[in-house]
Amino acid sequence: MRKKTYSIERKQAKWGLAFTIPCLVFFAVFSFYPIINAFITSLTDRRAIARTSHFVGLENYIYIFTKDNGGFPLSNSIRATLIFTIGTFIPMIIASLIIATFLMQLRKDKYRGFFQLMYYTPAVLSSVVAASIWMIIFDPRGLMNQISNFVMRTSGVDYNWLVDSTMLQISTMMIYFWKYIGYFVILFITGLASIPNTIYEAATVDGSSRWHTFWKITLPLLKPTTAMVSIMAMLQCLKTFSTQYMLYQGGSSRFPIDVITMNIYFTGIRNGRLGRASAMSIVLFLIMLIFTYLQLRLNKSSEDVEY
Amino acid sequence: MNKFVGKVTIWEVLIWIILIAVFAFTVFPIIFMMVASFMDAKQILAMPFTWIPSKEYFTSSDRTFFTNFYRAIMGNNNNPTFFRNLLNSLIIAVTDSVTTVFLASLCGYGLAKFKFKGRNFVFMAIMSTMMIPFEAIMIPLYMVVSGMKMINTYRGLIIPFMVSAFGVFQMRQYLLTFPSEYLDAARVDGLSEPKIYSHIVLPNSKPVIATLGILSFRNQWDNLLWPLLVAQSETMKTIPQYITKFSEEKMTDEGAMMACAFLASIPMFILFFTLSRYFLGGAAVYDSRKG
Repeated sequence: MRKKTYSIERKQAKWGLAFTIPCLVFFAVFSFYPIINAFITSLTDRRAIARTSHFVGLENYIYIFTKDNGGFPLSNSIRATLIFTIGTFIPMIIASLIIATFLMQLRKDKYRGFFQLMYYTPAVLSSVVAASIWMIIFDPRGLMNQISNFVMRTSGVDYNWLVDSTMLQISTMMIYFWKYIGYFVILFITGLASIPNTIYEAATVDGSSRWHTFWKITLPLLKPTTAMVSIMAMLQCLKTFSTQYMLYQGGSSRFPIDVITMNIYFTGIRNGRLGRASAMSIVLFLIMLIFTYLQLRLNKSSEDVEY
Repeated sequence: MNKFVGKVTIWEVLIWIILIAVFAFTVFPIIFMMVASFMDAKQILAMPFTWIPSKEYFTSSDRTFFTNFYRAIMGNNNNPTFFRNLLNSLIIAVTDSVTTVFLASLCGYGLAKFKFKGRNFVFMAIMSTMMIPFEAIMIPLYMVVSGMKMINTYRGLIIPFMVSAFGVFQMRQYLLTFPSEYLDAARVDGLSEPKIYSHIVLPNSKPVIATLGILSFRNQWDNLLWPLLVAQSETMKTIPQYITKFSEEKMTDEGAMMACAFLASIPMFILFFTLSRYFLGGAAVYDSRKG
């Protein structure tokens, strides 16, 4: 009897391995090997056109941090990426939290569902489509100048949405904000919906105003959700590429919006400097690793929250 | 009537105004794209902008209703690769979502319902790849793929995205809650393990499969960076590449660019409005990640 269960367990173990091995092999070849390879390549002078490459130690890292890389230094890319990330995710988190709170106030689920669906629509468009729509809206003669002139009570002023380096950065943030706002609203709604109604009922019975309830009950209970969503948004923003690439292709200058991913692409693929591009990749990887670590830490602490 | 008025407070009116303003912000650029794809540059950039294409406009001698769409498809060199690029995007997105569902469910099932030595190691190893962003490994991945002679092939475009760690994680989390009694009952009935997977596990995972499939489809439909590296000939390019090419060559032809963007969005719109709950569910999956 004992022997039989043992053999069933062995059989089970065999099947378990058989089911998981395809994925494990896949990740070994297409995730682990490349990241190790990126690190090794970052220590060589490898170029796309040359067959051979030599070990150069930390030369690539010194290069990307001290030299200007043909007018597009990594320091500028880090600046562009961080400004984009901060300028996008903070307004996004605040706005989506407020919108989600408002949506929860609606009495009918039908209306809430409709708004959620409509807010989410931009997210199904591809980034390239989103950027191309906004490129026309941001045109000197386009809608955005008309609206800005109307709001600012000026007439015929061109706000240089795609030309001025500050405005160009704001434009990329707006495009991203527009595309993902609905996504983050839904994340917050999920968080809000998990707060039991009884807490609100108790607060109402105690005579708490809506304003008071929001600050003293909703916000503290939503803290884990907010922390998680913030890190998720940050990680997404750090990886941005398509919006900036599209605007650059459309004729905007590269320097203000030269995010790290774009610099990797241009250095590695367009200029064929695989060693330097790999060094940049490792830098990006380390930045994202720190954020992922934070996310995991928060993830752990948020599991303990009980309503 | 009285009862109704009594219930509506200023606060509620304010909420409605803000919600409708956000609605306008998210939806109007999309409507703009649709409307502009029937206009010429003069009308698109007219001050003030009119949201309805004027009637005499379509009856003018050099334009028809579909002029922009015709130009979007033909490009400016009369060498139409639009449909080929659209087909490429569809092939890649569909294949990758099918393989993702298959491999992720297989692996997730193995991790959730089988005990074997090294299971935790396998799980942790796969999860740790979530920390490796694609953007950080695209250069070495490019070298791997070119080493396998897969540059400018469907294999090169499809294989690196055949499964995602997040997909495995999602399937595992879902199947952890699946009652093991069903599986044991099937084993007693003499069903083989692959049959149990295909006849019991898969049919009972439909919602999570739909969510995962759609997520994977969208990611590939939106993917620009990888095709930029791998798809080099015009016939291998994907639809995001087609649109980018458009913006550099034809910045002056805004109408055709919008028509192109509109055409490229139609498949996603169809998917979204027929399967919206899986889209929205996919966003909310995050919540189940909390464990």
